[in-house]
Amino acid sequence: MFTFILRRLLYSIPVLVAASFLIFASVSAVGSPLQELRLNPLISEQTLQNITERKHLDEPIPVRYVYWVQDALTDKFGTPLFVQTPIWDDLTRVIPHTLQLVIMAELLAILIGVLVGVYSAIRQYSIFDYSATMASFVGFAMPAFWLALMLQILFTEVFLNSGVRVFYTSGLNSSDNTCTFCVDRVQHLAIPVIVLSVLSIAQYTRYMRASMLEVINSDYIRTARAKGLAETRVTLRHALRNALVPVVTVSALNFGGLIGGAIITETIFQLDGMGPYFINNLLSQDVYPVMAWLMITATMIIIFNLIADILYGYLDPRIRYD
Amino acid sequence: MKLRRRTLLAGCTLVMTILAGGLGGTIAASPNQAGATIVFGAEQEPPCLNGTLAGCNNTWTSWTVGISFPGLYEVLPNGDLRPDMLEGEAKLTKKPFTLTYTIKKNANWSDGRPVTAQDVVFTWQTIINPKNDVAGRSGYEDIARAKVINSKTLKFTFKRPYAAWKLLFSGQFGVLPKHALQGKDFNEIWNTNVNGPNGKPIGSGPFIVESYTKGQALTMVRNPRFYGKRPQIAKIVFRFITNTDSEIQAIKGGEVDAIYPQPQLQLAELKRTPGLKVLSNAGATYEHIDFNAGKKGFQLARAPWFRQAFAYSVDRTALTKQLFGGLKADLKPLHSLTYQNTQKQYQPHFAQYTYSPAKVAQIMQSKGCRKGDDGIFSCNGIRASVKYGTTAGNKLRELSQEIVQAQAKKAGIEVVIENAPSRILFPQISNEDYQLALFAWVGSGDPAGITDIYSCGGESNWMGYCSKRVTDLLKAADAELDPAKRVALVNRAGKILGLNVPSLPLYQKPTFLVYKSKLQGLVDNPTLAGPLWNVEEWRVG
Repeated sequence: MFTFILRRLLYSIPVLVAASFLIFASVSAVGSPLQELRLNPLISEQTLQNITERKHLDEPIPVRYVYWVQDALTDKFGTPLFVQTPIWDDLTRVIPHTLQLVIMAELLAILIGVLVGVYSAIRQYSIFDYSATMASFVGFAMPAFWLALMLQILFTEVFLNSGVRVFYTSGLNSSDNTCTFCVDRVQHLAIPVIVLSVLSIAQYTRYMRASMLEVINSDYIRTARAKGLAETRVTLRHALRNALVPVVTVSALNFGGLIGGAIITETIFQLDGMGPYFINNLLSQDVYPVMAWLMITATMIIIFNLIADILYGYLDPRIRYD
Repeated sequence: MKLRRRTLLAGCTLVMTILAGGLGGTIAASPNQAGATIVFGAEQEPPCLNGTLAGCNNTWTSWTVGISFPGLYEVLPNGDLRPDMLEGEAKLTKKPFTLTYTIKKNANWSDGRPVTAQDVVFTWQTIINPKNDVAGRSGYEDIARAKVINSKTLKFTFKRPYAAWKLLFSGQFGVLPKHALQGKDFNEIWNTNVNGPNGKPIGSGPFIVESYTKGQALTMVRNPRFYGKRPQIAKIVFRFITNTDSEIQAIKGGEVDAIYPQPQLQLAELKRTPGLKVLSNAGATYEHIDFNAGKKGFQLARAPWFRQAFAYSVDRTALTKQLFGGLKADLKPLHSLTYQNTQKQYQPHFAQYTYSPAKVAQIMQSKGCRKGDDGIFSCNGIRASVKYGTTAGNKLRELSQEIVQAQAKKAGIEVVIENAPSRILFPQISNEDYQLALFAWVGSGDPAGITDIYSCGGESNWMGYCSKRVTDLLKAADAELDPAKRVALVNRAGKILGLNVPSLPLYQKPTFLVYKSKLQGLVDNPTLAGPLWNVEEWRVG
């Protein structure tokens, strides 16, 4: 196992280096990030010169990449192009926000997805099964931005008509509040969690149903039933564990990907997470925060891929790590 | 049964908790009269808090943190400047050009120390220090020396006359506290706070920063040592809501008390929403179509007659109505490249260009152009077909292009839309590699900046346009200290620009200040001073 993990981690190093160089080169090659500032006739040329020298913008891209690697390794990714605030401080601020959102959304999605998927499988071709199938397809097809807007309008109307604030439509906290684990935060995260989990629920429901159907029709389940075990015991103890394998794998991969931020959801709901951090810096062509985001995201994807593989082996004893 | 009871109990508890939080937790929903807190939805977050730096210098930095640091002059809604932190107007001598300022006796920093002449001198030294990444140095570099006369009075002697002198040390971040910043790295010290030497936020304006939660909100509290009228509101919370739909839902649902969004079609519904008021003005940002008369431009556009014909082929009144009729029905086209129609110096130099296909035909035919079978003119073998670019993805501009395209086609000029993202378009524009380009300038209220745009070889003149007369007039205006004579010079240049049409002004983007009708005293300032310019006058009625 240890050798397996070590080998996988070593393999990931060239992947990270190649990905970082490609992204750095492609973002840098788009054009001068100072162009917008240059358009303003009031911006001092001296200031543009200072930024150019500090960030080596007059050097070729490979040289700038080397400077970036140096900053990333020795100065926790350094500072952005225009502002002297440490990138690391921004990352440590936004990552917990994204984690909170993603964990809540994934837990909700797994809970509902597994329950609905299992029930659909054991009541195959029932009205519930057909309804769940249809709902999953709707969930797959529904654009996140549209659902977000609909829910914002709905809960605004609920407030206007009842005077009761059930959920807030944007932000992480009310204006006088900075708490992380409190009702206020739940009221702010509720709609984004719903929006983010809808697609995952649809996905997990389908995986769970398919996997469960395969398992409950297998010989060992038939044997368990023939032994006279109660149906609940057969389903929960014998079938569910094996049927969970694909869902666990998919959710681990999903989770790794979402650490990079649910860009649309976080941006619409003004959640100060990894998604808006990435998109805002990309739009302002600030390659340095974009690179930091990329390295964190890529590392998380690699780690969660590894976790998925390890869990896969744990749930299915037939898997061996060589 | 036990499980059901527990579930029921847990459910009831959750609902009651939400109800309690919902009813009691929304400041914005029930602002009280005495010491009210206002929640303002800010469309952008300051990149950092030091608005003097180029990287932090956006409008929302000025409109939020900037109100902590008022300047010597303030910009009024009509673009005029009046003394703010000064005891009356500055005293001026022409030869040599000197300015003597006297700071208000009761102007103090929030830590109790007085705002002094030394603070103004320090601000100047900070701005001209080449190590500091400040946004602009124009005018400050023309100051030769400073003399502190007493703690509240100082005199600047200039190397040469600088007509826009009222803009110096004015507006937000106008005067900086020497005792808080001296000896510190100016590029770093105020990135995430604006603290003084005692570790507490500092300022001299009506409100000072209380707390800043990056990515979420900036809270400002009343400054008890403010030299002006005591603010009636105790606290302003700026919540950063950059998504327009979310911003609109937030004001409708009472999550914020006021917003100042970019013009969007969705704003029309807010005008009909009970309990909300909308103030709208022609703003400082104006859209215009630049003609590239240079080598890489459209060959016909090198001649003023073609640019005039093009101007006659665009119905700017209809364009403005189509774009903003539902939001601001009285918005008029802009007819000047030198002043805006909210300023008293404004003269409509482009008013003659009303939509007239007949006039287009007359001009084109007089130059030997003939209409082809497709209704498009050709002049000496050159088809009147011009490429027209703007920033891809900007819906308002794209719609504007389509309207212009249809209008011009009826007049016999083909417009081919070729857009690109701003990161590609603007380098093309500044390299003079385009034919027609639609983009915006932001007016400061003072015409000083236009010399760079319209003079021969000006730093921001990317149109290949050169008129010696215009250049001479604008340069003379920049050195003219008599305001009336200066306006006359600028308008003479403006009149020539109206005849030469290096650029066609379209309209000023309207501003929208949306707020709960319970709030009173709000007056929109469509200049760069922004919506918070008179925040000390705000109250909850």
